[in-house]
Parts: sequence; structure tokens; C-alpha cells
Amino acid sequence: MSQVPGKKRGSQLARDIRRHRSVYLLLLFPLTYYIIFKYIPIFNGQIAFKEYMALDGVLGSQWVGLKHFKTFTNSYYFIELLRNTLMYSVGKLLFSLPLAIILSITIYECNKPTLRKMVQTLAYLPHFLSWVIMYGILLALLAPGDGIINDIIKLFGGKPLDFLTNTNAFPWIVIFSDAWKEMGWGAIIFIAALMGIDPSLFEAALVEGASSWQRVRYITLPSIRPVIIIVVLLRLGTILDAGFNQIFMLYSTPVLSVADIIDTWVYRQGLLEFQFGLATAVGLFKGFIGMFLILGSNRLVRRFGGNPLF
Amino acid sequence: MKRNCTRSSMLVTVVLLLSLSLFAQGAKEATGPTTIELWYGAAITEAGPPPSDWVGFGIIKEKLGIELKLTALPSNESDQDVKIQAAAAANNLPDLFMVRRDVLGRLVPQGLIAPVDDLYAKMPVRTAAHYDDVSKGHARIGGKSYGLADPGSIMKNEGLLIRKDWLDNLGLTIPKTTDELLVMMRAFTFNDPDKNGRNDTWGYGAFQEINNFEAWPGRRLEPLFGAFGVDGTWSLEEANAGLNVMKPEFYDAMVFLKQVADEGIIDPNWLSYKKDDFRAAWKQGRFGIMREQNAAFGAQSNYAPFDKNFPEGNWVIIDPPKGPKGKASIGPYTANFRIYAISAKAAKEGKTDKIVALMEWMASDEGYYLLGWGVEGVNYTKDANGIPVAANLPNANLAFSAPGGQTVTQLRNMVFYNGDIELYARYPKYVTETSKKEMSALAVLREMQTKDWTAQIGSDTLPIPNADLKRFYEQGLSEFITGKRVLTPANWTKWLDEFKRLGGQDWNDKGVAFARENNLLT
Repeated sequence: MSQVPGKKRGSQLARDIRRHRSVYLLLLFPLTYYIIFKYIPIFNGQIAFKEYMALDGVLGSQWVGLKHFKTFTNSYYFIELLRNTLMYSVGKLLFSLPLAIILSITIYECNKPTLRKMVQTLAYLPHFLSWVIMYGILLALLAPGDGIINDIIKLFGGKPLDFLTNTNAFPWIVIFSDAWKEMGWGAIIFIAALMGIDPSLFEAALVEGASSWQRVRYITLPSIRPVIIIVVLLRLGTILDAGFNQIFMLYSTPVLSVADIIDTWVYRQGLLEFQFGLATAVGLFKGFIGMFLILGSNRLVRRFGGNPLF
Repeated sequence: MKRNCTRSSMLVTVVLLLSLSLFAQGAKEATGPTTIELWYGAAITEAGPPPSDWVGFGIIKEKLGIELKLTALPSNESDQDVKIQAAAAANNLPDLFMVRRDVLGRLVPQGLIAPVDDLYAKMPVRTAAHYDDVSKGHARIGGKSYGLADPGSIMKNEGLLIRKDWLDNLGLTIPKTTDELLVMMRAFTFNDPDKNGRNDTWGYGAFQEINNFEAWPGRRLEPLFGAFGVDGTWSLEEANAGLNVMKPEFYDAMVFLKQVADEGIIDPNWLSYKKDDFRAAWKQGRFGIMREQNAAFGAQSNYAPFDKNFPEGNWVIIDPPKGPKGKASIGPYTANFRIYAISAKAAKEGKTDKIVALMEWMASDEGYYLLGWGVEGVNYTKDANGIPVAANLPNANLAFSAPGGQTVTQLRNMVFYNGDIELYARYPKYVTETSKKEMSALAVLREMQTKDWTAQIGSDTLPIPNADLKRFYEQGLSEFITGKRVLTPANWTKWLDEFKRLGGQDWNDKGVAFARENNLLT
């Protein structure tokens, strides 16, 4: 007996919605959010190619083609901005991710519940502090005049160093302070993945006489590898987001050569100078780079037999 | 369980739909009084907005037929700019709003701002007290005035202060020249001026406070650059007009600052400090010389922590030190204004007359006292001279100067014009709690105003560089001071050539031309 495929699909969908209506209702909220704040604004992306005039609106503004993209790429600091942005983004990925994995494994392996909970809480805590507060803490630690670190340096006869205005020290301050702030929060997803590992694997390994390190190497890490890949893939999508809030709070004129990133440049040149076309063009530029990186990496993961994102 | 989940989901959906309908109601056309949306600069940023039952709302509605909706702008200037420009980009500016001159210059070409030239005549009381030719010229763009420039902070309200008690402890006298200043800064840094046995003091204290007419290193170090005749971004002397950075004396000033930095006689945190850090630092006795604002130094609540920490401490206002050629200046000064602009949208909707009525009412006695100090008998009383004071009130917490009463004076900057009543009320004489000294921020102000300053009226309206050039300027200068670039005449010339090539020369030429066209040169 022949059936109308479309009708069957439609009725199946309707049945699914009826059956799981509560879940679909809950889906409405994120869906609404994404439509309003992520999809509708795509329409406004065209101002990247226009000389945006508020009174003329998005459609009425004059078309200027790639002018804003050229302004960005011809900026005196373009190469430096790109270098700094990638340096912080990749640096944070290389430091924060392994640290988050190590922390999650440490917490998972810890068999003292009180200690585990305490470490977990202390590790999460900095995530909830704003970068304004973090700046205050860093200043108290690193100030050349009376910072705790410099007090220790002076105690041992060393010369104090202004970490926050020294171009050699500043990048490390950014990367380490980010790792400190976000490591605990980043570990959550790995802890969740660790919880999903079949305990019998560890029991079997124990029976076979595997050491702790061997258990981590041959059971834990391979088990959470798909999650690590997903996290890395998602981070690649925002590779040109180096952390505006953090840099904006920490940077100052003496360290601009190593601190200025694409987002801080856009803030000064685009938002403060009322060049919304330029700001949008840079946003599109970043979005396309991120998209190509995700697509490329996803394809590579698939080719080498991993678990791709899609 | 499943039923509960369904019910919860339904409930959340209903709440969402209800809230959407509420938004829809908000969009309905209002009838009756005209709604005026005002974005104001809060007088006391740490206090909240006027409460919803503030008596002013009722008076304005009843007498003027205006439903006033208030929104406080962020206290940080950059955040203010972003908020206003984001609203402008969406063609959604409020009816009346405070705006900085730079931002106004960007909004006017967009056609978003209504000219106000015709409005002065409709506000005779306000115009007499608030506006003159200088203020009208301040917001003039392309021959038209696009903002009501009300008097802002008082001119020359900062000074160079020195710890007299430290001088006395070390047997030193007040420095008159940059050489004497160096000697004194060294003594303050290395000779334990507070006699606490610890090496925890420095000569000079500062932070980077930069604006259009006080470029890097900024306001706090202007007295040092003033000694070389290059304080401020610009020179507005007819014979010497242009960017100060291009003048040979600027190099000399940089060498002097570099020496101060290299010798470690300026608080090394100066490049990291924000404003609050700097202010906390002098109250903690970290340094002995600074440029500070009169009220930030001398107002009761601001001086109290220093008084408590150092009852024997004594700051005195000194003349700026003279440089090698005998020049001296605390820094450049200009006429300060707070600009209130009317959006073109509001003008198109026919709200201009209501806005004019509101502004004029604010300048009336009723508006002036209500917005300036609150309700008589509740938030203030008048002393024998008719000056509002926070005394003899039934509830002291509601005094205009107390936390409970500060909220009703948040719009006071829209009515104040630095008249005597305001100054006496704002800066009353008081006796400090710990050291029992008699203090007055007004006396401090008057003394600060007697010192040498560089007149640069209108320098804050000169063209500004693009962000890349601005960065090149600030970064380059700071790198010379921190040592990343070696400060030699050859390197300086090379950097200056690159600066000019990047657009510095063009910026200079445009600035001079603008100053000449607008009669700003002296």
C-alpha cells in the first residue's frame, strides 16, 4: 500500500509534539531567544557594507562595499591586533583547557568528599567575580609599590617589577589570570563527562594492578576525549574573541603593543567613534574566520575517526 | 511527574505571554501629559535615582503637563558615550539628554540632534543665569548651536598640594623650581618623611587621567609639563599655536618626567592606578605631592579618611614649580560645560516647547531649590544668610547631604550654575573629626584659583585624532617613559616623524585652523 510521505512525516511530527509537549514548550524559550537575539540581527549585518546613517536606517544607508573591511585591514595596527588576539586566544586555550582537565581529574580521583567539595567550590568561585574585582585583586598582588608579589621579590633583594605595565609580563598576567578565574568553571563539563565513565573499567584496572597514572592515561583520558574535542571545536569558533572584558580592565597605554586586541580596537574605533558599519564589518570578519575554523576542524576530526561536532 | 512537568511548562508560557502583553501596553500611545524622557548625569553617582514618589514628578506633571521619565547615565564617560551612541544608532535617542561635546559632534551630522538657537529667547530666566556667548559657542557645530551648554565644574578647581608635615619633618622648604622639586621628591622617597621607619613613601603621586585637551600623560602631571610651557594637548598662543608634542620643550619635559620615573621618586603604581586607587593612595600617606581637585581633597567626606589616618598630616597648596625658562602652570583650563541636547525625534514629535518649559521651570526659584536641595524643612533649612544647610531637620537622614536625601538632588547639575549660594551650600566650613582642623573646600578652591594656570578656553572643542593616531601618541610617549623606547633626541625625532606621517601633522593643522576660525587663539 502506498503512502504520502509528507503526510506521514507531518502526522508523525504532530504526534511527537503532542507526546512531548512539555519539552517542546520549554524549547520555546531558547528558540525565542535565538530568533530575537541571534537570527533577526543577521539582517542588520548588511551595515558592514554600508555607510550607516541612523535616520536612513539599515536599508536606506548608502552601500559602500568593502570599505569598512579595508579600513580594518589597512589599520596601522592590523597585524598587531591579529597577533595579540590569536596570542591570547590560543594561549588561553593551551593553558586553561589542560588545567581544567587536570583539575577535573584531580577532583574526580579525590576520595575525601570534604576536600573535594572544598576544592571544587574554591575553584568555581573566581568565575563569579567580575573583571573589575579581579583587577583590584591583581593590583593588590602585582602592584610595583606594595603588591604582595613585589613585596616578596623585595624581601629576597630583587627589584620590583610592574607586571601590569611591563610588555613582557603582561601577556602572562592575562593568560594566568584567565586560567585562575575560569579553570574551575571550565572543569564542570569534564567532571560531568568523568561521571559517565563505567566504574567497572576502573575496578577491572585495579584488579589488573594498574597504577593511578595508568588509569588516568588508559581509561579516563580516552573516555573524555570526545568531550575534549567538542570543547576545542567550540572554542575554535570564537578564536578571535580573546576576552574583551579582561583586557579592557587590565590594559594601559604602556602595554598597548601587546594588549590591544581586535575587540578593544573595535570598541575605540567603532563604538566610541560612532562607526557602526566598521564595528559590524569586524564582527562579520571574526564570525567567518570562526566558522571556517569550526568547519575545517570538524572535517579533520571526522577524517581521523574522532567524534565530530556535526 | 509528567503532569507536573506539563503544568510547569504551561505556567511558564502563560507568564511569558503576560509579560509580552505588558510590553505591548507600554508601547501604546499615552494620552494626557506629554512624556519627556530625560537621560541625566547624576550629581551623586553612588546614590540612587530620585524615588518614584519624588515630589518633583507631581509638580512637573501638574504645572507643566509633563510626565518626566528619568534615566541616569553611567558615571564613566566612555560608558555614557556608548549608551548614547547605541541609542542613536537605533534612532532611539531620548527627548533630552546630557552628552559630551565629542559625541555631539558625531550625532549632528547624522541629523539626530535638533538645533537650539531659537530656544534661548524662550527661556529668559535660564538663559540669563546659564548661557553666554562662550557656552553657546561651545555646542556650535557648522554655525548652529546644537546643545544647551550649562555651566559644568568650576574653572581652575585643582591645585598642586604638598605634605607640609613631611617638609617640616625633613627640614625642607616649599620647592619653587623643578630642581628643588626633584630634591624634595628624592627626600620624600628615601628619607622616611613620615618617620614610620619604613621605606613606603614616594615623592609624587599620579594616575593617567587623559582627555581631549590634556593628552598623555594627562591632568595629574600637568604641573611638571607646565614648568616647560607645554601643559595640555595644544598651545593656543597665536605665535606658537599647535600640538605641544611637536614643540622642542615637550622633549625637555619628557626628559624630566623620565628622570622622575627612573629615579623611582614617583609612586610606581601611577601607570596602573585608576582614579579611586589614586585617591585611596594619598589618604594612605603614600606620596607627598599631587595635583588634586578641591572637593576631592577638601570636602568633609573625602578628607575624613586622611584625617583619621594622619591627624598630624597637613597638605598645603603651592605654586607650580618654575622650569628652566621660568615658566610655571598648574595646567590648562577651559570653560567646563554640561551639554543637554534635544533629539531631532523629540523636536519632530512637537516636544520642544515642553522641554523649554521644563528647563525654564528648573531655573525658577521653585525648581532651583527643589532640584538643588529638595524640600525645605525636609531636606534642608536655610541659615541666617539664606544658604541651604543640612541642620535642624526632623529626620537627619533625609538631609540633602545624607544618604536618604541625596537621591532627590540628583538633577541638581541641571539647575546649578556655580553661584555663591551653591558654593557656600556645597562647600560648608567644617571641623575635622580627629585633628579638629577647620576646613572648607571653598577656601581650598579660592586658593587654587589664585595660582598660575594656562588659559585654553575652547581647547576641548578642537578636532580629535582617530583611534589609531591617538593610540600611537599615547603608547609612544608612555613607552619612552617606561623605557621600552630609549629617549634620545634621535629616537624622539624619528618617533615624531612617524607620528606626523600617520596623521599627526594633519591633526595639528586642522586644530590650528579650527582655533583660528573660532577665535580661540590668544
